[in-house]
Amino acid sequence: MQILFNGLIQGALFALMGLAFSLVYSTTGVLHMALGAIYALAPYILLTALHIGLGWGVGLILAVGVAVFVGIFCEEVLHWPFLRRNAPAEVHLIGSLGMFLVLVQAIAILWGSDVQVLHNGVDAVYGYGDLRLTRGQMFSGFGVLIIIGAFFLWLQRTELGLQFRAMADNPTLLSLLGRDVRKLRRFVFGMSAGLAAFVALGSSYDTGFDPHGGLEAVLIGVVATIVGGRGSLAGAVLVGLLLGVIRSEVVWFTSARWEQAATFTILALVLFFRPQGLFGRTLRLEEKS
Amino acid sequence: MSYLLHLLIFFQIYAVVAMSLNLLIGYGGLLQVAHAAYFGVGAYTAALLWTKLGVGFIPGLLGAALMSSLLSLLVSLSAWRFRGDYFVMISLAVQVVLYSLMYNFMDITNGPYGITAIPKPVIMDSIFATQEATFAIYVVIVGMLAFILAAAKLSPFGLSLQAMRDDELAARSLGIPVRRLKVEAFMLASAMVGVAGGLYASYISYIDPTSFTLDESILMLSMVIVGGTGNVRGPLVGAAVLIAIPELLRFLSLPDTVAAHIRLLAYGLLLILMMHWRPQGLAGRYRFE
Repeated sequence: MQILFNGLIQGALFALMGLAFSLVYSTTGVLHMALGAIYALAPYILLTALHIGLGWGVGLILAVGVAVFVGIFCEEVLHWPFLRRNAPAEVHLIGSLGMFLVLVQAIAILWGSDVQVLHNGVDAVYGYGDLRLTRGQMFSGFGVLIIIGAFFLWLQRTELGLQFRAMADNPTLLSLLGRDVRKLRRFVFGMSAGLAAFVALGSSYDTGFDPHGGLEAVLIGVVATIVGGRGSLAGAVLVGLLLGVIRSEVVWFTSARWEQAATFTILALVLFFRPQGLFGRTLRLEEKS
Repeated sequence: MSYLLHLLIFFQIYAVVAMSLNLLIGYGGLLQVAHAAYFGVGAYTAALLWTKLGVGFIPGLLGAALMSSLLSLLVSLSAWRFRGDYFVMISLAVQVVLYSLMYNFMDITNGPYGITAIPKPVIMDSIFATQEATFAIYVVIVGMLAFILAAAKLSPFGLSLQAMRDDELAARSLGIPVRRLKVEAFMLASAMVGVAGGLYASYISYIDPTSFTLDESILMLSMVIVGGTGNVRGPLVGAAVLIAIPELLRFLSLPDTVAAHIRLLAYGLLLILMMHWRPQGLAGRYRFE
């Protein structure tokens, strides 16, 4: 039960990561590898803010703010110019990989490669019956619930959410109808970076962080996106949650070394039996590409 | 002199790596980011065959080729169904999983401690212990590999690969067995890079998993991208340029901890710049469309 719950909290964070990655992928078709670097960056900003004595509140806002800025920076420097040139997906991907490398190495140069922690000592623990949850877990669990809830409400109920869904469907048509696709894209990249930053802060509060943790986070995002199904944001969220639960069960019953293998096995099985993903619809031939 | 020879030997090893990756990217249009993992599989297989089983130098290299090409099925079978984005993501997952296997299979690979005292090349009872001798024997082996690759590229196999790259549907309609072609291309490329891994292990005489990370895969990718895809000389140019960069950085006399990060940062930057201004590479023929 405790394991299930830990898995759920972990899964909630994964779900948000899946959402962050899938957000960019489903609307712009960009595989946003640099998101991993943004994920790695956020805790360092918070750490620095704490060091110069800004306190948790300001630090959190600053960390998410910087992440959003870097996300938009990626769009401005890489993906928008590439799109203008009508470059193929490979160019976007290679550019993003390059950005990932540049950012991660910059972090390592600025802050060093050692594992860092956000707080010392044992975290406060709250109990309910047999369950034990740390403050960090509570914080990230509830935070994720609120964010995901707010996101889907926003997506379904507001004008901007509608434009957003329209862009996922057909960006060219949207810009022909007089909407500013560029602004919307900036918004998407910023929002995805903010979500990734939140995930990074949540999980690094518990376990510490180093510059190279972003890769695994992106991999989770990728698997959630693919397994969840092309274009299905809710699918990505659910699969992220599921991944968290499965991985913590795997760690409990075997050992931590098989975590990655378990993730990958799920991906392989789903791709083999349901290539469109669990919640994706099959595309008609003319929709592909 | 020994410094120059050292660089030349490295150039030989990476020339094989870049040429084999070019077979996939430039000729097959199959962008993959798991090449360092196969390099590692080859290095480990050869090193273990030499140190644990006492197999001869050449059989060890052949074993490495066999192992890498067998494991290449992991990527190539998924290439049956997927092109573009999904395929890249799957190769990313394969990279991470193979790396975590190298890192975690303590019994076989000795985990993070790596394998030490890998013997120098021995052929027919003569030991190639000096750098000059290693260089000479590597010239022969690398020459043979380059010949095989160049021949494969000019053969009907290479031509149908290019046809598949340009239009898979049209290629199939002309009776080109696309699935078999993909498997064969991956087997050939992985076997080559496996041998390169063996050569690397024997020359360095010590390997550990950190030499086979995603960063390393991106480095290999940038060799092909920077040099140019789709012809024989492109990857050679790329390998030479990317091996020269860290040596030039050496003259800046940066502290060791920073230098490694600066090197990777430069690769990332190079990738971004190439994608902006010269997507076909310095000396390339094919560009992603």
